[in-house]
Amino acid sequence: MVLQFHQHIITELLEDTNGGLVILSSGLSLSKLISSLLLLHSTSQGTLLILSPSSASLKSKINFHLKTLNPQFYQIPVEITADLPINHRHSLYSSGSICFITPRILIVDLLTNKLPTSIISGIIILNAHSVTETSTEAFIVRIFRSLNRTAFVRVFSDRPQAMVSGFAKAERTMKCLHIRKMHLWPRFQVYVSQELEMDPPDVVDIRVPMSKYMVGIQKAIVEVMGACLKEMRKTNKVDVEDLTVENGLFKSFDEIVRRQLDPIWHTLGKQTKQLVSDLKTLRKLLDYLVRYDAVTYLKYLDTLRVSESFRSVWIFAEASYKIFDYAKKRVYHLVRSDGMKLDETSKGVKNKKKKVKGDNKDTEEADVTSSTSSNGIVLEEVLEEAPKWKVLRDILEEVEEERQKQGMLREEVLAEGEDTSNGIVLVACKDERSCLQLEECITNSPKKVMQDEWKKYLLNKVQLRDVVHKNKKKKSKEPKGFGILNGVTPISPAQNTETSGVNKQEHDALMAAASKLRNLAENNHVVEDTPQSNLEGHVRGKGKRKLGNRNGPIIIDDSGVQSNNKEDVTSGKMGMSDTKNEAHMDETSPVSAGRFCETEHGGISVDDTVLRRHTCPSAMAKDGKPLPPVHFYALESDQPILDILNPSIIVVYHPDMTFVREIEVYKAENPSKKLKVYFIFYEDSTEVQKFEASIRRENGAFESLIRQKSMMMIPVDQSGHGLGLNFTPDSDLNTAQNSITRKAGGRKEVDKEMQIIVDMREFMSSLPNILHQKGMRIIPVTLEVETMVRYYRIPVLLIEFSQDKSFSFQSASDIGDDVTPNSIISKLSLLALHFPRLRIIWSRSLHATSEIFASLKANQDEPDETKAMRVGVPSEEGIVESDVRAENYNTSAVEFLRRLPGVSDSNYRAILDRCKSLAELALLPVEQLAEIMGGHKAACTLRDFLDAKYPTLL
Amino acid sequence: QNRNAILVSNRQKGNPLLKYIRNVRWTFADVVCDFLLSQTSCALYLSLRYHLLHPDYLYYRIRELQKNFKLRVVLCHVDVEDVVKPLLEVTKTAMLHDCTLLCGWSLEECGRYLETIKVYENKPADIIQGQLDSDYLSRLTHSLTTVRHVNKTDVVTLGTNFGSLSNIMGASMEDLARCPGIGERKVKRLFDTFHEPFKRVE
Repeated sequence: MVLQFHQHIITELLEDTNGGLVILSSGLSLSKLISSLLLLHSTSQGTLLILSPSSASLKSKINFHLKTLNPQFYQIPVEITADLPINHRHSLYSSGSICFITPRILIVDLLTNKLPTSIISGIIILNAHSVTETSTEAFIVRIFRSLNRTAFVRVFSDRPQAMVSGFAKAERTMKCLHIRKMHLWPRFQVYVSQELEMDPPDVVDIRVPMSKYMVGIQKAIVEVMGACLKEMRKTNKVDVEDLTVENGLFKSFDEIVRRQLDPIWHTLGKQTKQLVSDLKTLRKLLDYLVRYDAVTYLKYLDTLRVSESFRSVWIFAEASYKIFDYAKKRVYHLVRSDGMKLDETSKGVKNKKKKVKGDNKDTEEADVTSSTSSNGIVLEEVLEEAPKWKVLRDILEEVEEERQKQGMLREEVLAEGEDTSNGIVLVACKDERSCLQLEECITNSPKKVMQDEWKKYLLNKVQLRDVVHKNKKKKSKEPKGFGILNGVTPISPAQNTETSGVNKQEHDALMAAASKLRNLAENNHVVEDTPQSNLEGHVRGKGKRKLGNRNGPIIIDDSGVQSNNKEDVTSGKMGMSDTKNEAHMDETSPVSAGRFCETEHGGISVDDTVLRRHTCPSAMAKDGKPLPPVHFYALESDQPILDILNPSIIVVYHPDMTFVREIEVYKAENPSKKLKVYFIFYEDSTEVQKFEASIRRENGAFESLIRQKSMMMIPVDQSGHGLGLNFTPDSDLNTAQNSITRKAGGRKEVDKEMQIIVDMREFMSSLPNILHQKGMRIIPVTLEVETMVRYYRIPVLLIEFSQDKSFSFQSASDIGDDVTPNSIISKLSLLALHFPRLRIIWSRSLHATSEIFASLKANQDEPDETKAMRVGVPSEEGIVESDVRAENYNTSAVEFLRRLPGVSDSNYRAILDRCKSLAELALLPVEQLAEIMGGHKAACTLRDFLDAKYPTLL
Repeated sequence: QNRNAILVSNRQKGNPLLKYIRNVRWTFADVVCDFLLSQTSCALYLSLRYHLLHPDYLYYRIRELQKNFKLRVVLCHVDVEDVVKPLLEVTKTAMLHDCTLLCGWSLEECGRYLETIKVYENKPADIIQGQLDSDYLSRLTHSLTTVRHVNKTDVVTLGTNFGSLSNIMGASMEDLARCPGIGERKVKRLFDTFHEPFKRVE
């Protein structure tokens, strides 16, 4: 069923055949809106191009809705990328169908006249908020408009806040996309609110009090944050109005601050820069406080303490001590073996305490380094469970009771596949991690989950102890050089800080508990820390590690895990294509949604086991109370989960504005459905604050947009004229296509027609756009760039600065006293020394670069594109030019590979040839590596690095 | 003559820049360039403010050098606010006359360039080939941070959770997602880096 307000939007948009900009509230289902709009397309109108959004999930959601809205609509839009050969692209361009197309290939085809613009009905852009004058989208529209004035350009965004960042953002966006009309559809718009509020779902709002320590931690973080903000205010560099704790809760705060600081970044002292990064850390800590369990939170803090550098301002703030202290107290505390508490402040924790029995003896046997002073100090586990866990369980039990009353259970067991009101409970969490953990909480018990996390925590510690210990004694026999020899260095400072008094005792007690646990685990499974270099040993080691860590009943059997992993590998690619949506459609079972887009199939099997357990009466939860089928969904994965799963009960475990709106939309679309929604908030938490603030912020953004709209100055001929050279009158449009793109308005300074050959890959950047604006002809080709110094007389390195950022590498105070290999100065100097023929251009901005280019080209011959393409291409037979293009490689994997020890310029190509992926490489035994890499030494270096034991911290 | 020192032209007497050459020795000498860094490399110093007053200066100085050096550096001190035009002129002059332009925004920075070129005279190009420190953590960080948005804290998290790089590489999406601080997008990027084939097209 199509929403009425979506129809309103479409009607309004279609009134102007030239296009328009639509901004709607997040969660009001942009993907459905687009799908409805696409359904109106008919082949006779010409081909419709949609610029592929950077978020793959938006695209897959559009495809999904296309199918559900109109099952007969089999034609899922094809995606045009650089991988498609030109003739194939051409036939798609003239097919009259709907195509997704990457901006890069579209601009290239426009510039090379490979796109017959006259048969294009229009272009749809889905990310209005990220379009600027210099972005490829603007370049595309400018060229496109110069060739076709009648087609439409329709632009959308569901991120209103992003549309108001910066000065007159909406207006500038409209200008550069040649759009005259803006349509605003906030949640408070009358059609929207009427439709969504007509028959709202039943809402149960549950406020869970946080534990005492959680409250304490939150208070401390907010306090430290406040202190940091106060410091920040003192610098007088950032608008005081922006510096509030409430703003500090959002990611966009970093942007606000950086936008103001970037132009003067090099003039800032270390202190201010550190403050900026500290605020970011603190925001994360607040967020994780309500998302992670107590042990994981402590572990994260430990990690931070080690990695975040000791320079951080906040770590030394007085309140920070409380953060660490309370976090620890949620997990354990220390008592004397005679039962007296070592730390008086830690009373009043009412959770059941379990003493680690026989600790003392084990300590003496296993821990050689522990000094006598540690005698008598025993670790007591606290392992505070997240208060929301119990609430979730209560809800589920209540739901199940209700269900049983209604006698639905029986029916369902009988008619398993085809139930529409399936009684599934959807639990929505922010992230995948929480999903997995909650799932375990429900299948096992919260206590078990905490125990497992605790064991993992301790095992991490004991591993470190081993490392240090071995290192003290002597070098170990194995040549595992990397981890053991060098890895320890960063730990020592952390250790040194812990050597004194109570800390030392605490450390020993932790170690004792850990080693005891480890011994236990080792008795069960022998493998733990022997990184084998042969393949089988490796795989086995991994499997067992899992067992060892969980140390108890495992939800999925080992083979299940393995096959899942394999599925992941194979379906990684598939996820991107359309087959995925078929999976959604075909599976009528209520569990068809996996969590990751890519691991659809893997996800199903996991959920299946869980669900079966719950629906099967014999496999009830441990305390005997039955639970309904539950599906855990990570909001991050951004799928049309409501439409796939059709739940009648939703538990919003982590409140999120967008998801709430999605629920409203879902209810409005299914008016007959009984829908109950539980919200679980932590009372008086920043979680609530953030949720409420996000709504306020969005409303504020819309209010500002409404104001802007009323005052906007959009030139009337925006639709066709102007050619995007917003500043200059354009030249004659009625000449041949090519000459238009060449002249493109022809600015005065450029006397003769200049042309620049641009490598295809560079179309990700804005420079071609600006060069074109300046009146140069842009010729896209594929260039062999890696060998520039060898083939060109004057190779040039362009160092271009961003207009909004400061023009310098670093401030004088950051230069330091010594010549250090890591500094940019050293790298540039070396570059100059090794490539004395290399010239360097320093450019203030994009526009300055185009000036420099024009000036350098002034008295030179124009480049020849056919010659340019042949440069650096090996002429021997069998080596085809297209084979060496970078876009054919998984560049991040190749870059990763090249940074591994043992891998060199001379052997990495062989690895690419003979090994499929990094994951595969990780499993190869050293002999095979030696064969591939052409040397035993390099192979050993690599293998050792891969297997080197990571030095555990703290 | 002293091989381990930078030879500074008498012309540069009184240049405050000299204060900042502290990591290598330098001495005045009768040389045609401003700074003789090694037998085959030299540098001319130019303040942009000076350039605005004497636009031809740089050209004549470069001409004097003749073709005696392999590396000819124009060390430009960016000491004016409005840089675009003067910098364009300097860039053009340097490029058309076979000089490598290096820019510094402070005397400290300019001095450091001179020092570094001298100190690194015989250094191999390793560090600009992306090989940095040799200790385990740095190398691990160096490689893992090729994956976009993966930061130092994440490296520590991944390390402690999986124990070794090969375990990290073999980890399932679920296992990666279990790591605190590693969100959906990072999980996907990491997983794709490890599992997508090196070559997209066979």
